[in-house]
Amino acid sequence: MYFELFFVLICLSKCYCLDREDDQEQCALLIKWLHSSSVSLEVSKKGFHREVTTTVDVRPEALSSGASVLLLHRWPRGVFVDPYQLASLSDHSNWEILLDSAIDLELPAHKTSGFSTYMFPTTPLPNILKFKIPVHGRYHESSFAGETFTSVHFEPPELLLRTKKCTDLHRFESYPVVNAPCTVSNSSTCSWFKKSQQQEGSSIISMMLPVGDGSATKLVCSGTLLVTVICSLALSKYMLKHRII
Amino acid sequence: METLLSKLPDKHVLFSASFVVRVVLVAYGDHQDRTMEVKYTDIDYHVFTDAARFITQGESPYNRSTYRYTPLLAWILTPNIYLCMAFGKILFVFCDVLSGVLIYTILCLRGLHGKTATCVCSLWLLNPLPMGVSSRGNAESIMAALVLGMLLCMEAKRLVWAAVLYGLSVHMKIYPITYALPIALALRASQEGSADAKSIRTWKKFITFIGSFLNRELILFGIVSGGVFSIFTLAFYYMYGWTFLHETYFYHLTRRDIRHNFSPYFYMLYLTADSRGSQWLGLAAFLPQLILLLVASWSFHQDLVFACFLNTAIFVSFNKVCTSQYFLWYLCLLPLIIPNLTLSVKQGLTLLLLWFAGQALWLAPAYFLEFEGYNTFVLIWLAGLLFLMVNCFVLIQIITHYRPKPPPQRQKAE
Repeated sequence: MYFELFFVLICLSKCYCLDREDDQEQCALLIKWLHSSSVSLEVSKKGFHREVTTTVDVRPEALSSGASVLLLHRWPRGVFVDPYQLASLSDHSNWEILLDSAIDLELPAHKTSGFSTYMFPTTPLPNILKFKIPVHGRYHESSFAGETFTSVHFEPPELLLRTKKCTDLHRFESYPVVNAPCTVSNSSTCSWFKKSQQQEGSSIISMMLPVGDGSATKLVCSGTLLVTVICSLALSKYMLKHRII
Repeated sequence: METLLSKLPDKHVLFSASFVVRVVLVAYGDHQDRTMEVKYTDIDYHVFTDAARFITQGESPYNRSTYRYTPLLAWILTPNIYLCMAFGKILFVFCDVLSGVLIYTILCLRGLHGKTATCVCSLWLLNPLPMGVSSRGNAESIMAALVLGMLLCMEAKRLVWAAVLYGLSVHMKIYPITYALPIALALRASQEGSADAKSIRTWKKFITFIGSFLNRELILFGIVSGGVFSIFTLAFYYMYGWTFLHETYFYHLTRRDIRHNFSPYFYMLYLTADSRGSQWLGLAAFLPQLILLLVASWSFHQDLVFACFLNTAIFVSFNKVCTSQYFLWYLCLLPLIIPNLTLSVKQGLTLLLLWFAGQALWLAPAYFLEFEGYNTFVLIWLAGLLFLMVNCFVLIQIITHYRPKPPPQRQKAE
């Protein structure tokens, strides 16, 4: 009797150890993949309506063995994405996006704050993944220092990876772990390995947006009011002259 | 002109043809949306549809950000979800053609010959601008139909119906509130005795003037239109609360959109958006609009159609925010006054060309700012001021060449 019980316990602990070993192995693999992967960001088009392309290079075996990829973009307050535009685009795209906060599409930059997007690739693709999303510039506070443009800087996104097989991420203290939604449905939170910050060599990506010239305020105000007053006087004069009695 | 008139088809052919053309445009739009990168459908149409979807789910239409209209519109468009996505567009197209029919009827009531009325009406029905706007899914045609319907009922002396339509139109969009004064003055004038003794003292005159507003017709109009407006407002306030009032009315009243638009005030409001004096500047920008509306209402209330046209054109041109869809608000009234203009065709076309040139001069720097990233704020500002001057010049030309046709006849008809 005791012997049987002992035997069962031995077996169970063995299984547990095997599981742990497997888990550890998967996690190590994940870190290896993450280490060899790279992320870059590119901004194209001009003016207030831009296209941001994120390129991710991950080892093919990572994707084939079922690792999930998540891109965490932290956007500056000078830009916004239109959730409804993204929703309509995602039907024909290779990504789905989750936003961390509600977005006001109309506020100027200095009256809002930055936000984050969680981008989930939807289709298993070759090792280099390209994701394009439309981003819009916000109006900025007019400049009183005589500057005609302001720049908005973009950070490259954080690449996050996880697999179902690697569960105990926190044992790998040397590697940063972040909590983020497991899927685009945002129903649960998972722990993800995060790719440590980009190499220093990567240049800062930025875009320039025109701003109003605050030093011309007086001129603009007086010019505007002068023209509107003259126009109203002229119109009033003719309306009163030709009024229908 | 005669040959042109004889070549013009029967009014029924015109109405059906213009409806068919618009439906074809809706079908084409669907094709373009599916196949091309540049979409045909107006962004607002998706806003309406999203709001309608929230309603079908038992939620507030205001859950859709940037939905700033009455919930009535989202309610009307729920078949977009239940039936077919194109339902709303067909409805807008129908209202667009209905506006044409209303223009025709009003013109006939104002004493125009049937053929000439068809000819003038085709300026609206065959005009690519309203065609494009309604088939792209913009709801302005509903407003055009409501305002024209109200004017038709006023011309036909169906006061209660006019009041119902007026209350409804102000509920849908607030800009027809500017017609309140000309309507009040017109209803007052219709009962006013023409023999005002000159010897009466000023204060007595003033009291008689105020007293003249207290007549049956005006009170009836006020109660009915106010009642319709209040019923809708209260019902929707009960359903959707404060958000409804804010998004539908207060947002538009206090709107300070600093992004570039046709308004002459745009750059001034952008530069002073955060300064302390911006409230005063807002007031300074509001005063010319208010004074002009008062002067126009006072000067032309005898001809309600003309007064409404002028009020709308002034309201839009001097507004703090002005986008191209606002132009339709007065363009739908333009065919009603064209027969009374003594401008030659050449003069008319010159004015039209001037108006388009004013817009083009604004659009060019606006394009370079928005899509090319050039700093063209100063140019947009100057173009906005120029466009205001062009608008005023066109309006002055219209005012000086306007001949109210048979005012004595209208009085006889009473």
